[in-house]
Amino acid sequence: MTLTAHHVVLPVALPLLVAFLLPLVGRLSDGLARLLAQLTTLAVAVIALLLWPAASDGGALVSAMGGFAAPIGIVFYADKLALMFVVALAVGLLLFRPRREHDSTKVQTLWLLLLAGGSGLVLSGDLFNIFVFYEITAVATYGLGASAHTGAGYGASLRYLLLSALGSAFALLGIALVYAAAGTLNLADLSQLAGERLTGPMGLTAFVLMVLGFGVKAELFPVNTWVPEVYTAAPTRVTAVLAGVVSKLAMVVILRLLVLLFQDPAALGFLLLLGAIGVAAGELAAFRSRDLHRTFAYSSIAQLGLMAVAFSIPGHAGVLAGIAVALHHLVVKPAFFVLADRWRGEIAGLTGAGRTSPLAAGLFVLLSLSIIGIPPLPGFWAKLMLFKAAIDAGGAGNLTAVAIILAATVIEAAYLFRVVGILYGTAPAGRPPLRFTLGELAPGLLLGAVLIAATVSVAPLGDGLTAMAADSADAAAYASRVLPGGN
Amino acid sequence: MTMDAEMLGKALYAGAVCLVLLGLYGMVVPRNLMRIVLGLVLLESGVNLFLVAAGFRADAAAPILTAPFTAQAAGPLVDPVPQALVLTAIVIGVGVLALGLALVVRVKEAYGTLDTHAVANRMARETGADPAVTAAGARTPGALPVAAGRTAEDAP
Amino acid sequence: MPFALPFDMTSLDLLMAIAAAATVLLYLFGTARLGGYLATLLHGAALAVTVAMGLDLAAGAGAIPSSLRLTVLGQQLAWTLDGLGWFFLLLTTGAAFFSSWYMAGEWGRVQQRARIQHGTLALNVLTMVLLLSAGDLLGLFIGWEFVSWAAFAMMIQAGGPATQAAYRYMLYALAGAMALFAAILVVHGAAGGFGFDQMRAALPDMSTGMLWTLFALFAGGFGVKMALVPTHLWQAPAYSYTPGASSAFLNAVSARMGLFALILSLVKLIGFDTLAGLRIPMTGIESTDILAWVAAITMVVPTYIALMQTDARMLLTWHGIGQGGYMLLGILVATPLGVAGGLLHVFNYATYQMALILAVFAVIHRTGTADLDELGGLITRMPLTYVALLMGIIGLAGLPPMNGFVSKWMIYKALIVTQQPLLSIAAFVGTLGTILSVYKLIHNIFLGQLRVEHREIREAPWSMTLPMLVLAGIGFVTGFAPGLALSIVDQAQAAMGVALLPHHLGGVVLATGSLNMLWVVGVLVGAIGVGALIFYVLGNRRFETHQYDNYAGGHFLSADIRYHFSHEFYPGLARVIGPWYRGWVVRMEHGLGVLAEVSGDLWHGVFRAAYTPLYVLIVAVLGLFWAGGAGGFGS
Repeated sequence: MTLTAHHVVLPVALPLLVAFLLPLVGRLSDGLARLLAQLTTLAVAVIALLLWPAASDGGALVSAMGGFAAPIGIVFYADKLALMFVVALAVGLLLFRPRREHDSTKVQTLWLLLLAGGSGLVLSGDLFNIFVFYEITAVATYGLGASAHTGAGYGASLRYLLLSALGSAFALLGIALVYAAAGTLNLADLSQLAGERLTGPMGLTAFVLMVLGFGVKAELFPVNTWVPEVYTAAPTRVTAVLAGVVSKLAMVVILRLLVLLFQDPAALGFLLLLGAIGVAAGELAAFRSRDLHRTFAYSSIAQLGLMAVAFSIPGHAGVLAGIAVALHHLVVKPAFFVLADRWRGEIAGLTGAGRTSPLAAGLFVLLSLSIIGIPPLPGFWAKLMLFKAAIDAGGAGNLTAVAIILAATVIEAAYLFRVVGILYGTAPAGRPPLRFTLGELAPGLLLGAVLIAATVSVAPLGDGLTAMAADSADAAAYASRVLPGGN
Repeated sequence: MTMDAEMLGKALYAGAVCLVLLGLYGMVVPRNLMRIVLGLVLLESGVNLFLVAAGFRADAAAPILTAPFTAQAAGPLVDPVPQALVLTAIVIGVGVLALGLALVVRVKEAYGTLDTHAVANRMARETGADPAVTAAGARTPGALPVAAGRTAEDAP
Repeated sequence: MPFALPFDMTSLDLLMAIAAAATVLLYLFGTARLGGYLATLLHGAALAVTVAMGLDLAAGAGAIPSSLRLTVLGQQLAWTLDGLGWFFLLLTTGAAFFSSWYMAGEWGRVQQRARIQHGTLALNVLTMVLLLSAGDLLGLFIGWEFVSWAAFAMMIQAGGPATQAAYRYMLYALAGAMALFAAILVVHGAAGGFGFDQMRAALPDMSTGMLWTLFALFAGGFGVKMALVPTHLWQAPAYSYTPGASSAFLNAVSARMGLFALILSLVKLIGFDTLAGLRIPMTGIESTDILAWVAAITMVVPTYIALMQTDARMLLTWHGIGQGGYMLLGILVATPLGVAGGLLHVFNYATYQMALILAVFAVIHRTGTADLDELGGLITRMPLTYVALLMGIIGLAGLPPMNGFVSKWMIYKALIVTQQPLLSIAAFVGTLGTILSVYKLIHNIFLGQLRVEHREIREAPWSMTLPMLVLAGIGFVTGFAPGLALSIVDQAQAAMGVALLPHHLGGVVLATGSLNMLWVVGVLVGAIGVGALIFYVLGNRRFETHQYDNYAGGHFLSADIRYHFSHEFYPGLARVIGPWYRGWVVRMEHGLGVLAEVSGDLWHGVFRAAYTPLYVLIVAVLGLFWAGGAGGFGS
């Protein structure tokens, strides 16, 4: 089956359609609804993969809604970067799919909404559509965040909702400013106008507002205070997907904004600042966390900070580093949360847990080594790319960021290996051992296997990512693909 | 553009800014969750008003297609894009508001209070293991083993 | 000796293959009945290949390349072994051979996790091969991380106090690695690549500030591994709590990787000339002077800390830190004599320190303790172990006829010839501390009265005594004929680009006074012989006395009174040293930990639920501030 540009809309439309049908199907049979939802998720992954060859041939697939060409019409833009994240989202949602639960259909519906919103977020070629899909994603995550049905879950989700809604208002304000300045919301069109219309304080304000808005989901400092609460209170499946994939989708949006609209050094500097503070804040807070969920939540904030630092470096080297960090974190963090699900409560209470479940403890060590950045694991190469990009770009800000990240790495190792020491300690007598069932551990093991496979094939992987990054960092190519006539 | 239209435009902007500030105040100062949600509503209204104002022209007609369209006959139209945006934003805002209120109800059911500090403390207790809440400065058991090496050296 | 290998393998490829195979095989079969001997065989093969490489290098083969090549993300990685790497490689494979031999018999069988011990030992060898043959700075960093984490794996296996010690080591090592990472990034920024040649080419254009930065980062990063003061706190506990054979390996070579990397980065890459040009303005203090004084402090302070230890392992491992100071100091003298002395000390130290550690662990194996307050009089029960330990401490103290004397003599001589009296005094003071403390070691374990509970213990098995005796024997032979070891040192010295030191079998030839150990040992043996002759000819007035027939504090103790003076062995010295050896460094480490905790708490508070309103306010103010900057938009 060959797919063309018209099918680009499918990853968004299909789950959206099924999501609305699902409550009806769920009335008939819960199992059928679950099956339908999972098949849809699988279908989205397959469609995205089938679109891949066509996207890599021409650089990207562009689809204009209703036949109205850009800049008047609304476009979907599927390059390799976007498709990769659609696949990652679909696979992540499948891997952590809801099991046979009490309200499985409701959760499945939100799951599909998340898929539709997330896909739309990375595929949209239009600022306002990005906002709409961002909101769809957000609403789905509010519901999922509360789906543990605990007081903490409701409270955390409400807090997240308030912050996110505030952020959305900011983002909307930013979009309004962009529109007021440039008279269009099409990204390709904007990228050509950005040089004259979006510079100066006006553009900067719009950028800051949008970064603060989209930054809520991208866990950027300072709008990430919801992260530890939600990640602790939500079901671990949800946390794994939120931390692993959804946060990256918002980051991709910020990347698009940077590449296409705001190449202003001040804008880049702003993101660098937020990223560097995020790294320091995340690692230090994680150092003082006493349960694994919070530890990983804070570590996630730090990793997203790392991505922000990478994206703030102009040129494709920074984009490459950011994508590498994102992909690495996308594999590692969900696996970490799989482990945290069983190892709940105070870390000190886990003494000897590694001896009763050696496989899980081994996985923990592997993931820790990779996230710290120990060669030859992929985390090392990602960090190396980041440092190289920062050093080659030069500048006091970048060098300071590198120093902060290097210091934060030591803190990171301190808290992760403190846990390792506790895991391999001697368990006090009389405590029932914590054991994983294979089913619980399976997603983590799968991701660990992916990590090892990536270690082995790091060279071809790096080449592929380099090409992808070069393409994603090319604003002119983006504009020429969306506006073939030249504009 | 006449003086009146200019005044109207300024009034719209001033109203938008006032609403946003009011909303922010409502989200920042009160400790009652209900009031915070209401602050959010005010804030969103302010932003929406700002959007409408951005596309407003006093001497233009509403961008509604009533008759077969000809550019000369219709005269200037108000920019329809911001209005479309605002419509969408209002719909989204209502949805989020409903969800937020539902969560407020659930929080009240679970904790019996709407006070943010009380809710935060209850949440921290429920999820547990927050050193900043339990005992500020209490050393974690497996903390940096600065003491461990000293015992080795203190041996003599 | 060009030897033919299949598939165009170079000898370095073969060595890597053996080390990799050993890691896998020993992890799988290390606990098997003959697993220990398999380990010995594999490490022996690696040693043989290393020796063959040495012959190749001596025949003028230049550097030995590896066929292993990787290109990752535009970075090319290649591995090549030159004389300097080979010198350290010889110590590595040699130490691994003796360690695995020691582990092969009874000692390995009583270990709970022999598989892990064998596996981590082989892993350490593999990672060291990769480090020592690194062909560029990135390879060096990767190898460095490998070596650090392999050592961590080796240390943490024992559990209990070892976990804390290993954790602490890991933090120090990682901090050092991050300094190194920063250093290679600085080079990359200036040179546009990680290649050694690229770095050398970029050096002349580097600013003084950048050179200072590089110097500090390299010295700091690698110095952590050598446990240079003030980064020395981790080493003694980490090496002491590691099980015996692994501990001996770590002691002999692990910290030396830091020295190798320091030589590579500071001498081979930056070069003595550039370093000499790097002065603190208005003082004439060169960068190397600073490092030399760090080395001198490292010689003295840890040695006197060692003096205070009551655990035999701790005593030796604290000495290990001090001995590292001698090696570095010798090399920093930068004359052929000093460099040769420093390198020779690396070799010598490996022989006697391994013998010592293995002997102490043999004592632990039999008695179950290394507490110097709990031992005594073992000379009658474990005579072979005693001999090994005796020869070891003579070497450690730097006395003839053992090899430690030769290298220390060369270092003193180099310091004196280059007119550095203060550093020479530091070296002498360090040696004084060593002599005092090794006496404590041998006295408290082997001399005096045997304790009741040790009356029945046996000598350690041959599988354990033989390796240490052979090591002690090597120490004696290379003390008697230092030319043997000096020709090994020549390889490294040539690769460093330092002029070779003229030497012969018995020692070195210098204009300012030569050393011929053949004579020294001859005279020593002759003098002892004359003494013995006189003693025996003039009456032979000796009588056998029982071990319990003792004398202490003005009392003749009869056999039924148990007395062995060991607790608080040097009370006077302890009073003098005590107050200042544990002060500021421990407090500094503690302070860093507290700093991290306090800032962690701060951020934790920032993320706390109750602060949300404040947070939103900050966000809003920030946004409005920027919006205010924008001014009248929208018109």
